[in-house]
Amino acid sequence: MTPDPIPLRAPSMLECRNCGAGAPLDEHFCGQCDRILALGRHGDYFSFLGLPRRLGLDAGDLERRFRELSRKFHPDYFYNATPAERLASLERSSYLNDAYRTLRNPAARIEHLLAIEGFQASKTDQSAAKVPPALLQEVFTLNEELDEIRELRQSGGDVAQLRGRLEAARLPIERKREEHERRIADLSARWDDLANAPTADRTGVLEGLRELLFERKYIDNLLATIAREAAEVQP
Amino acid sequence: MSHVVGIDLGTTNSLVAYVHDGVPQVIRDGSGDALVPSIVSIGDDGTIFVGREAQRRLLTAPSRTVYSVKRFMGRGMDDVREDASLLPFTISGEAGGVVRIGIGGHQFAPPEISAFVLRELKRRAEDHFRDQGDFDFEVERAVITVPAYFNDAQRTATRDAGKLAGLEVLRIVNEPTAASLAYGLDKRNRGTIAVYDLGGGTFDISILKVEDGVFQVLATNGDTRLGGDDIDALLTEQVLREGDERSSPAEVVQAIRKAVIQAKVDLSTSDLAEIRVESMAGLPAGYRRRLTRADFEGLIRPLVERTLDPCRQALSDAGLSPRDIDEVVLVGGSTRIPLVRRLVEELFGRTPHSDLNPDEVVALGAAVQADILVSGRREMLLLDVTPLSLGIETMGGVMSKIILRNSTIPASGREMFTTFAENQTAVDVHVLQGERELATDCRSLARFRLRGIPPMPAGMPRIEVRFQIDANGILSVGARELRTSVEQTIEVKPSYGLTDQEVERMLIESFEHAEADIEARLLIEARNEAEAVVHATEKALRRPDFEQLAAETFDAGERQRIEASLVEATRAIAGGDRERIHQATESLNQATRHLAEVVMNRSVREALAGKHVEDV
Repeated sequence: MTPDPIPLRAPSMLECRNCGAGAPLDEHFCGQCDRILALGRHGDYFSFLGLPRRLGLDAGDLERRFRELSRKFHPDYFYNATPAERLASLERSSYLNDAYRTLRNPAARIEHLLAIEGFQASKTDQSAAKVPPALLQEVFTLNEELDEIRELRQSGGDVAQLRGRLEAARLPIERKREEHERRIADLSARWDDLANAPTADRTGVLEGLRELLFERKYIDNLLATIAREAAEVQP
Repeated sequence: MSHVVGIDLGTTNSLVAYVHDGVPQVIRDGSGDALVPSIVSIGDDGTIFVGREAQRRLLTAPSRTVYSVKRFMGRGMDDVREDASLLPFTISGEAGGVVRIGIGGHQFAPPEISAFVLRELKRRAEDHFRDQGDFDFEVERAVITVPAYFNDAQRTATRDAGKLAGLEVLRIVNEPTAASLAYGLDKRNRGTIAVYDLGGGTFDISILKVEDGVFQVLATNGDTRLGGDDIDALLTEQVLREGDERSSPAEVVQAIRKAVIQAKVDLSTSDLAEIRVESMAGLPAGYRRRLTRADFEGLIRPLVERTLDPCRQALSDAGLSPRDIDEVVLVGGSTRIPLVRRLVEELFGRTPHSDLNPDEVVALGAAVQADILVSGRREMLLLDVTPLSLGIETMGGVMSKIILRNSTIPASGREMFTTFAENQTAVDVHVLQGERELATDCRSLARFRLRGIPPMPAGMPRIEVRFQIDANGILSVGARELRTSVEQTIEVKPSYGLTDQEVERMLIESFEHAEADIEARLLIEARNEAEAVVHATEKALRRPDFEQLAAETFDAGERQRIEASLVEATRAIAGGDRERIHQATESLNQATRHLAEVVMNRSVREALAGKHVEDV
């Protein structure tokens, strides 16, 4: 167990629009007048839910936090409140729902972490057509095989045989995906261990995660292409 | 504090319910009937009939009567053309605009028709509260339910209907979710439930997780054009084909429709039913045909099977398989059909629940939600989702999704825009809803024009367009230029909805119409009163002893005064002038007051005649 990371930014404050009291950025209700705070400047999905910036997350705990906060700011409970409070409730609920949806999904969770740590989407990600260098070999082999299968299919090739070849083409990609899953999990765990490590180490981990995510996206697209071709060779 | 109610505004029937001492209950009429048929008919004199009376008029005045208007809510002409074939009323509208419904020479937008039904429910609830002796019996606020798979335009149309009926719509709630709330009341249990809701016109499937009183929808799917109506149409068309009655008058079509609905209902409890239409104009031989349940099921199976794919999709979106579902709940009248139950049971591998009346459970849940909203009670909380993805049209006519389907609502999303030309000060945005890749295959919700962008070189402005879906599942849009923080003005042109100005105008017209409604009611009451006096007078004049009585007791001219007043009253009743009827009634009353006394005395004397004093 490592201690929770200490926030790097200077603690900024929110101001309660009802009584004018100051409140820490990730408070939801004013400590002085108990009113719901407008969602002005805010932290990130982790801090909003009272969680440290860690990739290892207990799904049950996340869900409990989500339910608890839902009960605190859902618009249902602000029906008779002032317009300002109703707006605050709507905005906080929306943000909570977005946060929960993002953090629940491991890939989206990493992407959010990258974004709040100042990592824009991968450089290579800008041109989605570009093949990640680490995957060049697999992609060339697969494309050749797919071309042949397509030709055979159009000239009425044996369905069982074509399916066999597709399956054979799919397996290495599938294995690659599994390998990426493992590497992402390893790096995620490493990120959690590095909470108090020097910035350079942390940056390296995040860069690694960014590339892995991009590659995995590409792998998923390859698998989808194979699945589409498989659907075509139905008898 | 005025009452709040929950309303199930159904395709076939509508209901109103409220929470009494913590228990939701539906409001019934004097004969114990909770269902108000969602049917509206307009009389020759403009009187509006709603419910059972309108249902009767479907057989006698079909071209002046509308049913299943829910199918037209928030839709355009292109969507509904194929629905129109068997309908007795006309539908019209420009391509890409709101549908108009024509009955009896009047044109109505669908929300206006729904508003008549809502007003009837409002009146029913107010009568109920008044009968209970509530001083404050008025109903001004309501929760109204919609199919979970309703899109933004359909939800907005429903909210407009509420507004037109003089109701503040506290919340639009999804029907299956409302049903789960009603079910969750007695059982404080937790688990994953599937609500299968097959109604008169729409189908919904919702998968929910219930824990600690939080009802969280995980996924929803459905078909807003699939329901009991389609089964009725299938059977009706079959009968028409057999009888080669394709050009049948609307009266015949409606008589057949009524008969096939009866047969459909019968087949839920017996293996054999008869479709029976008595001889009538246009169908002199009548129609009789026996229908077995097996034949019926063979006919409707393809329709019922259309519900299964949405179920599978919802399960997959929730990341669940059928065996993860702890309970299956059936909602909607069409789930009484044994084949429906069987197919649902096969899909989920468990016997579905139907402890609560499937017609009433949605209204009960709506009442619970209304109670939560006004009371601030926090034992239960509904967390629903948006059924369809929301996005904008981008370069090349592609739909770019901003909020994904099955996102918990409220939800928000944003998208950045910039300009293409130097000093461009406006940008057009096309808002879409749907799952398809191309904008043309998605639902067009609205077109926005962002104005007031500060003049800058092309590509410089950073315009943030923000989407906000509220707890009703209804979208609003805001925009801001980030470099200058200038808020953009947005002009909304709903693609298949009414503009605020149109709703405003209809509201004014509906008040005028409400006055006409009240006027019609008052006229009927005045006529009834006048007829009662005329009737009593004529009865007195027909007495065998009238001549003798007149000779003994009448003043000079009294008889002439009675006869003249009687003629005037009869004429006034035939006319439509309420004031004249009142005056005629009043003068006939005065002219006959003495006669009435005399007749009364005689009657008493006759009754007492021959009786001993001690008997009296």
